[in-house]
Amino acid sequence: MAEPVEGALPRSSAGFSWAGFPWAEFAACLVFVAAFAIPSFTRSQLIYSIANQALVGVVAALSVWIMLRMNLLTFATPAFMAIGGYSVAILAPMGVTDAFALTAISFVVPALLALPLGALVLRLRGTYFVLVTYVLSEILQLILFMTPDLTGGSNGISGIPAVTFLGTELVSNRAVLKMACAIGLVACLITAGVTRYFRQHFAAIEENEILAESLGLVIWRYKVIGFVVAAGVAGLAGFSLVNMLLTAHPSSFSSGSAVDFIAYTIIGGRASILGPVVGTGLLVWATNLFGTQGQLAQGMYGVLILAVVLAAKGGITGSIATLFRRVRGAN
Amino acid sequence: MEQFSQAMIIGVSLGAQYALLALGFTLIFGILGVVNFSHGGFYMLGGYVAYSCVYHLGLPYPLAVLAAVFATGALGYLFELVLLERVIDDHLSTLMLTLGLYLIVSTAVLLIFGPVSPEFPFPVSGAWRAGPIYVPLENLVVLAVCVCAIAGLYALLFSTDLGRGLRALADDRDVAMAQGMRPKLLFPLAFALATGLAGLTGALVTPILSLSPSVGDPVLATSFLTVILGGLGSLGGAALAAFVVGIVEAYTSVYFGGSVGALVLFILVLVILVFRPTGLLGREIRGA
Repeated sequence: MAEPVEGALPRSSAGFSWAGFPWAEFAACLVFVAAFAIPSFTRSQLIYSIANQALVGVVAALSVWIMLRMNLLTFATPAFMAIGGYSVAILAPMGVTDAFALTAISFVVPALLALPLGALVLRLRGTYFVLVTYVLSEILQLILFMTPDLTGGSNGISGIPAVTFLGTELVSNRAVLKMACAIGLVACLITAGVTRYFRQHFAAIEENEILAESLGLVIWRYKVIGFVVAAGVAGLAGFSLVNMLLTAHPSSFSSGSAVDFIAYTIIGGRASILGPVVGTGLLVWATNLFGTQGQLAQGMYGVLILAVVLAAKGGITGSIATLFRRVRGAN
Repeated sequence: MEQFSQAMIIGVSLGAQYALLALGFTLIFGILGVVNFSHGGFYMLGGYVAYSCVYHLGLPYPLAVLAAVFATGALGYLFELVLLERVIDDHLSTLMLTLGLYLIVSTAVLLIFGPVSPEFPFPVSGAWRAGPIYVPLENLVVLAVCVCAIAGLYALLFSTDLGRGLRALADDRDVAMAQGMRPKLLFPLAFALATGLAGLTGALVTPILSLSPSVGDPVLATSFLTVILGGLGSLGGAALAAFVVGIVEAYTSVYFGGSVGALVLFILVLVILVFRPTGLLGREIRGA
């Protein structure tokens, strides 16, 4: 296989212009930075809880979004979340509680496991890829139940020690929320970095994989990179979730939860990194609006998915961008 | 030996149920190119329609089963005609629409009937004994209905003009359209047929197993397993794979415990997907 013709996909690095500034990536990172300020404004445990849920959801949705950049819909996010979350839950009782070390572990372990898996499953496209990732999630669930010595089986792992930051235990709800913000920011920076750096490669794969390959692009290399990074980002979401619950349980990583992360991404809009951020924020907030009638949330997701697919293909951010362009065009 | 025979009977009975589900699922994929994530929802809905007809309308159980078939078939027909048809050539959009429908249907059922499983026993009880072999009558009834439905579906697809039209569209949509087949007429019918089969299975099986708003999830997973094993879009493959899955599940449950069987099946399917995506009897369809 020939090396990719890099000149065929030029990167826009010739000089600086505001038009080429990654506004969406900048805004997405800004959201995570702004979230650090939440504990300064309120002591409401409910708001802390909603913010934590949203931060975990955004990171998981970012993992889905990375794959969607290559037109690959994945149901494997909960599986890689579980690998990241359980890695932390297994190592923390052994004394590895440092925030930096656990963040690195929760990213690297799923990413490393994704490397051989990606080499296998990325031969598939479209429907077959969707199905294989669904099967992967189901297999991991069964493995969690069938390895009680390592994962606690159906009881999971509880009593996980608190994460420490420079020797200080992050025990309070405020500290846990700030940790979730930090993990979210790291995930956003990684996602933004990879999707910006490989923007044109991913776009070529999304647009027409066969044509891109025929033009010399080594497709599998970029697909494996995307898959590995998406797995690592999902692992970070798993760490954030386990740190919030102080428990790692198979039910937290059910294959059904992949539907939520996909809904966040599709409803928010898949064209920009802001899509998963906006979609997750809105849907987690709306879910909590229902309060005790939380069971309605799934139905609401269903209605929104139908509305977005039929009426607003770009999702919320895509529709706003289209509207903005039309208004600017009219002026 | 007695345990071995008993496991075989359970396996064949399970296989017939899975075949009904998988045939509907693979029919939709083969003809429309749609992965129907709402398939489990139609199964669950079939169970609830039958339950409502029996306990709220006082209908006899056989009529309730028919009502379930028509209700799920009608919903499937309307869904395809009104919503799915608009994005039929975009596989990601069709997948998302069926996912959305499943979420709406399961939430609606949850709101109407609540999360608690209703009391919905099968109207026939007792067992048929032949020496050491013991078969619950309810399983025999379900097996008989499933076999009749599968035979009916095969007759419809292979001996009628409608079936020929549907198979022509599955083989090559462009050529079939050039020959005068009308997808806008036939696609909703195919979808209704498949969802009706899911409803039939739900109405038959939920009184034996259980009925709750979440019963669709494992059904979807089983349908996936079966159709991948048999080959997406292959009717013969789906029927064969359904019996393989049923029998493997029964034997592994009896001899090793439930989770091992499921894990073996999932790993088998993963290997098949990776190395032979077209399954046991399938062939490449729609470049999926």
